[in-house]
Amino acid sequence: MLRFFIKGLIRDRQRSLLPIIVVSLGVMLAVLMQAWITGILGDIIDFNSKFATGHVKIMSQAYNDIKDQKPNDLALMKASDFMSKLKLKYPDMIWVERIGFGGLIDSPDENGETREQGPAMGMAVDLLSEESHEVERLSLQNNLVRGELPDSYDEVLLSEVFSQRLKVNPGDQVTLITSTMYGAMSITNFTVSGTIKFGAPVLDRGGILADISGIRMAMDMEDTVGEILGYFIDGEYDDEKAEAFSNLFNLANTDPDDTFSPVMVKLSDQDDLLSGYLDMVGYMQSIIISIFLAAMAIVLWNAGLLGGLRRYGEMGLRMAIGEHKGHIYRSLISESLIIGIVGSVVGTAIGLFFARLLENGMDFSDMLEGSTMMMSGIYKAKITPETYYIGFIPGILATVFGAALAGIGIYKRQTAQLFKELQA
Amino acid sequence: MKNGTIITIDNLVKRFPIGGGHFTALEDINLKIETGEFTGLVGPSGSGKTTMLNIIGSLDNPSEGDVIVMDTSMRGISAKRASTLRKQHLGFIFQTYNLMQVYTVYENVEFPLLLLKMTSSGRKKAVLNALEWVGLTDKIKSKPKQLSGGESQRVAIARAMVKRPQMVLADEPTANLDAENSHHILRTMEKLNKELNTTFLFATHDDKVIKYMRRIIRLEDGKVVADNLVKN
Repeated sequence: MLRFFIKGLIRDRQRSLLPIIVVSLGVMLAVLMQAWITGILGDIIDFNSKFATGHVKIMSQAYNDIKDQKPNDLALMKASDFMSKLKLKYPDMIWVERIGFGGLIDSPDENGETREQGPAMGMAVDLLSEESHEVERLSLQNNLVRGELPDSYDEVLLSEVFSQRLKVNPGDQVTLITSTMYGAMSITNFTVSGTIKFGAPVLDRGGILADISGIRMAMDMEDTVGEILGYFIDGEYDDEKAEAFSNLFNLANTDPDDTFSPVMVKLSDQDDLLSGYLDMVGYMQSIIISIFLAAMAIVLWNAGLLGGLRRYGEMGLRMAIGEHKGHIYRSLISESLIIGIVGSVVGTAIGLFFARLLENGMDFSDMLEGSTMMMSGIYKAKITPETYYIGFIPGILATVFGAALAGIGIYKRQTAQLFKELQA
Repeated sequence: MKNGTIITIDNLVKRFPIGGGHFTALEDINLKIETGEFTGLVGPSGSGKTTMLNIIGSLDNPSEGDVIVMDTSMRGISAKRASTLRKQHLGFIFQTYNLMQVYTVYENVEFPLLLLKMTSSGRKKAVLNALEWVGLTDKIKSKPKQLSGGESQRVAIARAMVKRPQMVLADEPTANLDAENSHHILRTMEKLNKELNTTFLFATHDDKVIKYMRRIIRLEDGKVVADNLVKN
C-alpha cells in the first residue's frame, strides 16, 4: 500500500515536486541563516576576545570600575609574579598581558615640526617574547599591509587608514603623546615598522599596536599591567564555563575591602553593548527561526489545503471504495513526512553549499565605517554540527503540521459530501 | 453467491436541513431487493435516486426508518463499519469514471484489492481477470488520459468488480457516453450480473439504460410511484 502511494506521489508533481521545492527553499534559507548568524556571532566573540576581552579578563577592582577609560594608574602591580602564579595555578588557560592606552600621535616633518596629528587608540601586547603567540592570535602577519612587524620595543604598527591620514610610511618616526601611570606627561618616539588592517573599523580609524615592553617604558609601568586576558585552551568561548571559572577565581582572590585586589570578569560581562548584542543575536536567531517555522507551516498548510481540495475527488473515491477516513488521513501525513524529509535533505544540502561559499566571508567594512563596535567588517558563515540538522526541524515539522491542518478539513467533511464532490 | 434479500428498506425517510427548515428527499420508502437483481432506480433529477443509492452504499444515513444491506443496518452505522462494508461487499460505478489519473489502468483496478490486503499474486490474477471481463487486457499500462470515455468506464467497471462484490451501485454510468459505448458497457454489466450473480442497482434517467433493467423502481419527489418487473 505504501509503495502504491509513493508511486502516486512521485508521479503527481503537484503533490511532490512543488511541495519539495517549497520545503527545500525554506530549509535552505533556515540552514544558511543559522550558519550566517552563527558565523557572525562567532566572529564577534572571537574578534572581541582576541583584541579586547579575552575569554576572561583580570584587572584590579578599581580599574574594572572605570575600565572604558583605560585607567592605567589603577593597573595591577607585581605583574610578572602574578602571571607566574596564574600560569602555575591555572595551566589549562592561556594568559597574556595587555595594556590599553590612548594618546595623541604626532607625525613630524623633515624639520621635526608637527606635520599631522591624530588621536590614537593603542594596544600594547607581547610581540617580542619567544613564548608569546600574540602575533598568531591577532593574525598580524596576515593583516600586514605595508612594512613588517616590530622586532624592537621602540617600533609600532599603525593602522593603514591612520598611517595615510598621518601621511606616515614604514620607517618613519612618530611621537606618542600620553601620560604615565603616575599622571606625568609622556612623550616617546617610535618607529613605524609597518601598517596593518585590523579588520574592525573602530580600530582601523586610529589604531596603534606596540610591544608591551616599549609601552611600559613610555608610560612608566614597569612590572605593572592594565589587563590580563585568559583564554580557554581549546580556543572556544563557553559562557557557562567562564562564569564558573570567574566565580571561583573571585572567591579566592577578590578582597571587597581592597580596591586594588584582582577581579576576573568573563567576556559577556565586560561590555554591556557586546553582551546586549550577543543576547539580541541569540533572541533574533530564535525569533527568525520561529517566524520562519510558522510562516512555512502556513504556506505548507495552504499548499496542503489546495492539494487537498484538488484531491477531494480522489478522497471521495477512496472512501467509496472502502478506505477508512483515518487511513486516508494517515496516508496524507505519511506523504507529508516523506516530502518533509526529502525537502529537508535537499534544502540542507543546498544551504550547506551556499554556507560553504560564504565561509570565506563578505566584506561589509565600507558600511561599518562609522561603527564604534569591536567587530570584524567581514561577515562569514560558520558551519557547525547544528547546521546539519537545524533545517529538519522546520522542514519536517512545518510540512507535517501543514498537512495535518489541511487533512482535518478533509477528515471533518461528511462522507456523503465528499462523495458529491467526487461526482461533481 | 446465495440468493435471498440483499437490501431491505423499511419506512425510509431522508431529510436535508435547508435554512431554518428541512427538505425531504425521500419519504416513506419500503422496498426489498433480492440478490442477483439488475434493477434501476429511475426518475427525473431531484427525485431522490442518488440519495437512496448513497444510503444503500453506506455513504449517508437515514433520517427515519432503516435500510438493511447484507444484514447490516445503515441507521447509525459507524464510519469504520461502513467503510468495511464498502471495502468488502460493495462496488461503485460513477458517471465521471473517477479513475486516479496518476495510476495506470492496472493500478486503478488493483487499488480495491490493496485495501483488502490481498497477496501480490492474488491481486495480479484478479486484476487480469477483471480486465479480461471488460476487454481491456491490452491497456493495462495505459494511463486514464490515454483512454476513451467508454474505455475509462470499462476500467471503472473492472475496478468495481475486481473484488467480486455482492452488489454494484452505479450512478448514471452512461451519462457521459455515446450510444454505442453505453450499450457496450451495459452488456458487459449484464454479462457480469448473469455470470457472477452480482446484484446491480442503477440510478438513471437514461432510456438506453432503462431498456436493460429487469426491474424498474420509479421515483418521483422522493416517493416510489411504480415498481415493475420487466420481461425481456
